[in-house]
Amino acid sequence: MEKLYLIARIADTRVALRSRSINSVVTVGAPVEVPGAPPHVAGLFALRSRVFTLIDPHVVVGLPPVAVASGQRVIVVDVAEHGYALLADEIEDVCFIDAAETRLAGKLMPGWARVAEAMIEHEGASLLVVDPSHFIVPPALKAA
Amino acid sequence: MDDLLNDFLAETSEILADAGGALVVWEADPADRAQLDSIFRMMHTIKGSSGFLALPRVTALSHAAEEALDQVRRGHRAPDAALVTGVLAIVDRLSMLCERLASEGAEPAGEDGDVIASLSGDAPDPVQADAAPAVPAAIRMRRDDDIITELQGWRSIRVPLPLLDSVMTGVTDIVLARNEFARMLRESGADAALIGAFDRLSDSIAGMRQSVSQMRMQRIDKLFAPLPRIVRDLAQELGKKVHFDTSGGEVELDREMMENIRDPLIHIVRNAIDHGIEGLDERVAAGKDITATIRVSARQSGNQIEIEVRDDGRGLSPDALVAKAIANRLLSAADARTLTPAEKLELIFRPGFSTAAQITEISGRGVGMDIVKANVEKIGGLVELRNEEGRGLSVLLRVPMTLTIISGLMVRAAGQYFAIPRGSVREILLETNDSVRIERLGGGEIATVRGEQFPLLRLEDVLARQRGDDDDVDDRALVIIRPGQGQSYALSVAAIHDHEELVIKPAAPMIMATGLYAGTTLPDNGRPVLLLDVQGLLAASGVDAGEAGRSQDRADEREAQAERARNATQLLLFREAAGRTRGVRLSVIERVEEVPQSALFESGGAVRVQVGDEIFPVHAATVPAGEAAVKLLRLYDGDTVICYPIAAVIDIVRLPDVVEPASAPGLIAGVVLVGGEPVELIDPFWIMECHAGGRTAVAGRAPLCRLVGDADGWGENFLAPLLRGAGYRVATAADAGEEADVMLCLTESGQGCGHDAGDLPVICLRSAVVSASPEGASVYRYDRAGLLAALRRKVGGARS
Repeated sequence: MEKLYLIARIADTRVALRSRSINSVVTVGAPVEVPGAPPHVAGLFALRSRVFTLIDPHVVVGLPPVAVASGQRVIVVDVAEHGYALLADEIEDVCFIDAAETRLAGKLMPGWARVAEAMIEHEGASLLVVDPSHFIVPPALKAA
Repeated sequence: MDDLLNDFLAETSEILADAGGALVVWEADPADRAQLDSIFRMMHTIKGSSGFLALPRVTALSHAAEEALDQVRRGHRAPDAALVTGVLAIVDRLSMLCERLASEGAEPAGEDGDVIASLSGDAPDPVQADAAPAVPAAIRMRRDDDIITELQGWRSIRVPLPLLDSVMTGVTDIVLARNEFARMLRESGADAALIGAFDRLSDSIAGMRQSVSQMRMQRIDKLFAPLPRIVRDLAQELGKKVHFDTSGGEVELDREMMENIRDPLIHIVRNAIDHGIEGLDERVAAGKDITATIRVSARQSGNQIEIEVRDDGRGLSPDALVAKAIANRLLSAADARTLTPAEKLELIFRPGFSTAAQITEISGRGVGMDIVKANVEKIGGLVELRNEEGRGLSVLLRVPMTLTIISGLMVRAAGQYFAIPRGSVREILLETNDSVRIERLGGGEIATVRGEQFPLLRLEDVLARQRGDDDDVDDRALVIIRPGQGQSYALSVAAIHDHEELVIKPAAPMIMATGLYAGTTLPDNGRPVLLLDVQGLLAASGVDAGEAGRSQDRADEREAQAERARNATQLLLFREAAGRTRGVRLSVIERVEEVPQSALFESGGAVRVQVGDEIFPVHAATVPAGEAAVKLLRLYDGDTVICYPIAAVIDIVRLPDVVEPASAPGLIAGVVLVGGEPVELIDPFWIMECHAGGRTAVAGRAPLCRLVGDADGWGENFLAPLLRGAGYRVATAADAGEEADVMLCLTESGQGCGHDAGDLPVICLRSAVVSASPEGASVYRYDRAGLLAALRRKVGGARS
């Protein structure tokens, strides 16, 4: 279980998400907007009679927000008993990665630096290892 | 093992809560065998389960209580207050142990000998038991087997709450799926048989949803169970006698709701005993039953539950509340005057307010009625007061039946739907309605609805959104919202959609943090809707929605009323010594003086009174006799004081508008009707006139002028009025008797008139302008100044 990762492209970057905190991957229709909410909240949608809060990772890492396309795939996670979903550009795969997580090398964008925890080697490419909960409550904001 | 322990704890804490109430009921009526048996059964159950789990302290305690109760059941011991207190102490100790067990997972070490000893302090005494009348011997002794059998009678099972919630979620999912399926069926043009089959499925789903909602319900009995115990303990502590009564225990309430009103309810009951119920002496003095009654009742009305706590104590005194609020600087004296009686009562909900003169140990623990109100409102409820000063207070809690399902008003703004809790909506009007006027004032907007003004918030503006493109101006509506007591505002929305029963869930923390929303909900169409926080919208827009001083009509009217009251002439009603009721305008009275009879004296034909080192004239013919003390009205015209003796002051009333004037000037200015009775109005002007310049109206004081030679009546017709006006009395030649002070002789040219004046001074008046006699011997008859000067020279005059 430790080694199971979800490989996805989030905010124009390929990442490996630790699967422990991931609930499921689903598709959504147009979300309901939440006026007045922080900018990374892209809206609300219902799934199995639960209301989920849609998070736009683009905003979290400092990119302009993207419009939610109908049928877009999202990664559903539970944080502190609330349901959230991360907008994903693309879901690639769920797989075991035997390689160890390594310390981040190189300078990241400040937004990514806040959420990324480590790097991992997978099929000849380096992926950022990200805890999905960091998109919902970014560590820098946690301290604030 | 953990599961077993959790089950034990859940069951035991429930039993303990019931046991407290049951014990108090039993204490009130020791012959109630059923109560005794049920308490015994409860202890027996705890003992049995704890033995299985190896909890020696719990076992020992419950065993001791069971033993003692069994002694009573077998008639070996009389039920008395000491026994009940002992068992209650055991219940308390067991509750404490259960709490520790829950938090630590193991029974804490300790010694319970003290509690157990207090129970057996009154050792079983067969002799006493024989004499005990409270346990009728006729009651059949039961064996333990009977009790075991009865335990099976509690036909219910314990289900973990998360399981219940997941069933609820599942059913809601089925409902949503059904809705979508129904839509697809309609669109596909399915045949009638298929639709009929689907409808049957649909009905059973609706029924199932109903049952699942009921699974979360609990009888409100559970909420009432700890109250008798609290009342008993508190009443004993305060030395008051209280009869406690509950009704409507079968009403069902959402379990979560129950948790939320438990503390407010306990607080209200404590308040009633501590502040509401008078001390024994006071109750006797008020002519009330020495045992006070507190009644807690519940009833269902629609999808709301009303819980009423009624006491027959002293009630609330609005004026005392105002005085308290002013003393606590919660209110200025000026604001206090504008409060209606109902608003005065609402003062107890202000933060920092406490009605007791001293903060007592019982209710003054920093929890005020403001917290009670806030807690009840948080769950969509209301607190109402029904006060009868001197006779009691009843506090009404009105709460929705379930916490999660509320009645919501769906509105549209900025192209999406929002829900508003129906409970805070007062009225809904279209903006185009004739009774609505919307004005823009200094950048803000005000809506005037039938003369009442409300700050206007546009939902799009508060949410910082553009108006929706497809909004029709004619659809725009005002929702008059009352977010809390004494606050209201108008919320303008693009359109009103409908009412729905909504299942509310909390939104994600970052959404709740905006302060604009109270939660999310999923209506049947499956699209999430945000529930607006009606108080939060207000805070976000920074509008003062306080109603105080807002409504101009009411303020004007109040002002006008005060003005009328100020302008109304007030009349002092008094009784004279002769028993007649008379009145005088209050404004002319400086004060009412009470002096000893000896302070009045007669001097120079006038009655006077000495007050301190001043002497004032008294309007009386003689010094009033008989009374040891005399009451005097001090009439004051800004210059002179005249005292008017009276027997007693009766009242101060508003001077009626209609005064029937007296036909001639005199002491009585007229007659008015006060309360249907005629009252003579005395004329302070006339009294002042009488006493002006020290002149008195008492006969015999004014110099008497005798007119002689008044052949043609000139003297009578022309001269006499002048003389009287100057303070002389006038007599004609025909009036014999009283000796005159001066004789006025009317002549042709001023020569001696030839009348015998004796030694009376004589003034000759001539009709000719030019005097034929030596200068000074006569006065031309139209020389007013000369005549009066001559009179003064001859008799010293009337005016000093």
